[in-house]
Amino acid sequence: MNLDLLIAIFITVVGASTPILIAATGELVVEKSGVLNLGVEGMMLVGAITAFLVVFLTGQHYLAIVLAAGAGIATSMIFGFLTLSLSANQTATGLALTIFGTGFSALAGQGYSARPVTLLGPLFPADLATHPVLRIVFGYSALVYFALIMVVAVWWFLKKTRAGLILRAVGENDLSAHSIGYSVIGVRYAAVAFGGAMAGIAGACFPLLLTPQWAERMTAGRGWIAVALVVFASWRPFRLLAGAYLFGLVMTMELYAKAGGGPLSAIPSELWAALPYLATVVVLVLISIRRDASTNAPACLGRPFLPSN
Amino acid sequence: MPLRLQLTGITKRFPGVLANDNVTFAVKPGEIHALLGENGAGKSTLVKMIYGIMQPDAGEIAWNGQPVVVSSPKAARKLGIGMVFQHFSLFEALTVLENIALGMDAKIPARDLEARIRQVMAQYGLLLDPHRTVATLSVGERQRIEIVRALLLEPKLLIMDEPTSVLTPQEVEQLFDVLRRLAAQGCSILYISHKLHEIKALCDTATILRGGRLVDTCDPKQETSRSMAEKMIGAGLKDIVRPEGRSMGEPKLVVSRLSTAKTGHFDVPVNKVSFTVRAGEIFGIAGVAGNGQNALLDALSGEIRSDDAESITIDGFPLGLLDTTERRKRGLCAVPEERNGHAAVGEFSLSDNSVLTARDRLGMVVMGLINSGAARTYTGKVIAEFAVKALGPASMAGSLSGGNLQKYIMGREILQKPSVLVVSQPTWGVDAGAAAAIHQALVDLAAVGSAIVVISQDLDELRALCDTLAVINLGQLSPAKPNAEMSIEEIGLLMGGVHGATEAHDAVPA
Amino acid sequence: MQFRLEKRPEPSKLMLYVTPVASVLLTMLVGAIIFSLIGYDGVGAVREIFLTPLTNSFKWQDLGVKAAPLIIIGVGLSIAYRANVWNIGAEGQYVMGGLAATGVALATYGMTGWWILPLMMIAGIAGGAAYAAVPALLKTRLGVNEILTSLMLTYASVQLIYYLVRAPWKDPMGMGFPQTRRFAADALLPNIIPGTIVHLGVPIAIVVALIAWFVMSRSVFGYQMKVVGAAPHAARYGGFSENKTIWLALLVSGALAGLAGMLEVAGPFQRMVPGFPTNYGFTAIIVAFLGRLNPLGVILAGIVMAITFVGGEVAQTTIGLSSSATGVFQSMMLFFLLAGDILVRYRLKRVIPAQEARA
Repeated sequence: MNLDLLIAIFITVVGASTPILIAATGELVVEKSGVLNLGVEGMMLVGAITAFLVVFLTGQHYLAIVLAAGAGIATSMIFGFLTLSLSANQTATGLALTIFGTGFSALAGQGYSARPVTLLGPLFPADLATHPVLRIVFGYSALVYFALIMVVAVWWFLKKTRAGLILRAVGENDLSAHSIGYSVIGVRYAAVAFGGAMAGIAGACFPLLLTPQWAERMTAGRGWIAVALVVFASWRPFRLLAGAYLFGLVMTMELYAKAGGGPLSAIPSELWAALPYLATVVVLVLISIRRDASTNAPACLGRPFLPSN
Repeated sequence: MPLRLQLTGITKRFPGVLANDNVTFAVKPGEIHALLGENGAGKSTLVKMIYGIMQPDAGEIAWNGQPVVVSSPKAARKLGIGMVFQHFSLFEALTVLENIALGMDAKIPARDLEARIRQVMAQYGLLLDPHRTVATLSVGERQRIEIVRALLLEPKLLIMDEPTSVLTPQEVEQLFDVLRRLAAQGCSILYISHKLHEIKALCDTATILRGGRLVDTCDPKQETSRSMAEKMIGAGLKDIVRPEGRSMGEPKLVVSRLSTAKTGHFDVPVNKVSFTVRAGEIFGIAGVAGNGQNALLDALSGEIRSDDAESITIDGFPLGLLDTTERRKRGLCAVPEERNGHAAVGEFSLSDNSVLTARDRLGMVVMGLINSGAARTYTGKVIAEFAVKALGPASMAGSLSGGNLQKYIMGREILQKPSVLVVSQPTWGVDAGAAAAIHQALVDLAAVGSAIVVISQDLDELRALCDTLAVINLGQLSPAKPNAEMSIEEIGLLMGGVHGATEAHDAVPA
Repeated sequence: MQFRLEKRPEPSKLMLYVTPVASVLLTMLVGAIIFSLIGYDGVGAVREIFLTPLTNSFKWQDLGVKAAPLIIIGVGLSIAYRANVWNIGAEGQYVMGGLAATGVALATYGMTGWWILPLMMIAGIAGGAAYAAVPALLKTRLGVNEILTSLMLTYASVQLIYYLVRAPWKDPMGMGFPQTRRFAADALLPNIIPGTIVHLGVPIAIVVALIAWFVMSRSVFGYQMKVVGAAPHAARYGGFSENKTIWLALLVSGALAGLAGMLEVAGPFQRMVPGFPTNYGFTAIIVAFLGRLNPLGVILAGIVMAITFVGGEVAQTTIGLSSSATGVFQSMMLFFLLAGDILVRYRLKRVIPAQEARA
């Protein structure tokens, strides 16, 4: 294999992993605050159709990203209102949100299937990325850098800031945080909104970064993989990177197998297509064998906040 | 000097309950003021209003002579009111330093905060490593965090909510030293408790609440424990009636070298616990919370199974390998400490809760189907005989008050006529009337020849109830002694982990 | 005037049954408004989706055929959710049930006999249960979250269909279409009402729901599911093993989803095709909740959901509304239901400001 091919593979891996990484980073913050939002897939689809429509109608990629984030927030607020203000069951509400996002995006995208848009170009001028090795550093679109920056930012936020400490405290013991005087519901709304924005942007990656068109259910379960990734990473931001790139690699292999290249195509393409999902199961199994995995989970994860007064 | 705190006509109403009714009293600067009352007397509601967690429906709070509205805990802290909760508001996964930082309203850089923490700790002899994770600390150490957190704000009034319920007698003495030192510096202390001897030892003034109303404000040093108790409870105290001429029979429950594996991160397992309970005997196990009581109860009830059949026997029959259902069939019933969610299902009716533990002993299941009529009848009997205040067998368990639910649970087990009954914290959070009824029921069950094990953190309860006592510490059980032959100092030392005799005890062949 | 929520001493039985009905009605009302606002014929959409299937008698057979798999899967899920076991991979178990039945149908192709259909049924049940056993094993042995595993397996099962109908099971006479051959007559479900499309699966669904209702309300098995779901700690104290319950919950819900898959492939589909996964497994989640996790309620909820499916098709042809609008209506219904849940546990109470009270 020559260097060019390796670099091409590397760049594809980074691209394929970006939406998962962004969505997982958002979900990590949500879960750290003690909320389990299983609606990531639905919010991503809403983000994807929003981004597609904006680009299709205006050609403005960055506007598309911003509005996709806004659409993600709006969708997440349905979840927030039901689970936080009305203390509805988080699991059921998250599922409902995914069903909603799937239906809503299909409805909004009706008639737009297979209409092409343009991808978001690289952030840096092409001169910087002439050399193959430089392409590894400077050859991506803004979304890829955004994903990486957000991982670092979330780590810094959780570890080093007072707001991050409060967010962790709320996820660890909501009743105590409430009794000290913090607004548990307020913190969780903020976290859910952040998760919504990130899921919206993650959805925007599909038409802007991967396949320049709209297709129903185009996120294909990546939102669920992002949820799994948070478990895999034991709620630690930097471990998300490793997990996301692993999945990026698996998905890239699928692309190469489908393209009919070399030894990979000896295996049925359906198996390759199933591989990211099977890999998720395997990864969840591996992480659960390690004993300390679950002890890092926020103690209040998924429980409704019910103060006695 | 103006009064530090003056409450006038404070009233707070909850659906169906008048929690505080026109309560008026005052705390002077530097005074240690007891707030005394039964569970449910309205003490907690009252201090929640002082600390700004709740707002009174009527009445006035004055601080240093000025009327104030304490709109939030933050506002309370700003005034100079600190509070140490009974149930600590700590975050297990965070460090001591992070926990204290969360409780501070002002943003202080971590390094400065640490320096101030070390200074306060040194000043009051409250030693702790600020970088340890709370999950690794003992209950007494956790309380120190709360106290340090409150003291950092240099409070003028410190509210202590039942602070000693989790401490050994020696730790209680240390705490009292700290509180006396604080009071000497002019800090007022509002000390909430229902332990009369502590109040006599510590407090200058006592305000007694009953049923949400103020009964009396008195000088505890001028009162006897009994006179204060009668004010608190409202009627003459009922003593436990012990049947005449009771004698202990043959060994019934024999536990030998019972151990459990360490399961959870924060659990304390039991280690080679051995004891014998005879027919008719009430065997008490004292100890500070979190020393393996839960594991011991689970190991006895069968929720945790042993791998040694002989580790638990009833009348010589080995039970160690059996599950809870099989053990119940053999006559061993148990009542865990946590009522709602462990001993009973809050979302289920009382009748369905009877099915939970009584279905096999009382034939409520026929060919895989539940005979709900039998469950209803039995539940009705429990309600009647144990004076459970409930609308009927169809009432949701979760709708009962703590005391009534506990009476139902105790009744549900006792009316199954177990030959061995193991109960944990039988009267925790239960009002005096219900507690007396539960104690009497235990004594009566022993009188007909059952062996009873009572695991409790309430030494007063164990002293009053038990024939024999042992102390659990870090999962190990001290040798048992007759209650009458054990001094409070000895129990205190054992609770604190001074196990003079453990080795020798272990060497005795089982 | 301000309102505040006040906890009820006991959950309201009335609200438990009123809220599902109210959420259907609210969905119709709010749906009409929202669809009008975004430029559709909102009232028309609601009429076509919710009412036409009921008023139009020859749509009734469609309702029955669509409701049957939803009810069967929904009953299984309602049992699992009672036990707090979140099997959301019913779609995958439905697919595996369909595939297992297809395997039997293809292997017995050319044979005749009454035994073929029961054998397919057993295969379907076993296929669904076996696929649900994977999350059960991982959950009980390693504590792996069953939501994620059951869902991931669903995505994988769809790929398995694609592979099987493209290669080993492909109809040799199918002119290159990726599908199996049409099943032989003895491997097809009989119609129970001549001249309609109502097949044997419809009465089976009703019987399954009735049996499940009896078992859940009267038996120790039902008690076990409910107590483990409501209070796992208390269940252990009462002598019920949590792991055993997880296994039972997943096996039962998987088996019923597999049964539904068999009935679909041997009924309406008559062969395995790539379009076999029709989201019944996901819609049944809504059915289970809307039916209040009660098998009798699931029958009603299954019919309501079938109405929206049939009505969605009607709206597609009559007013050109995308079939995905159905999904929006269905999720809206679930949102309203979940929002209404709070009224089961709390009641609205008017807040009287403190000054007023004192005056």
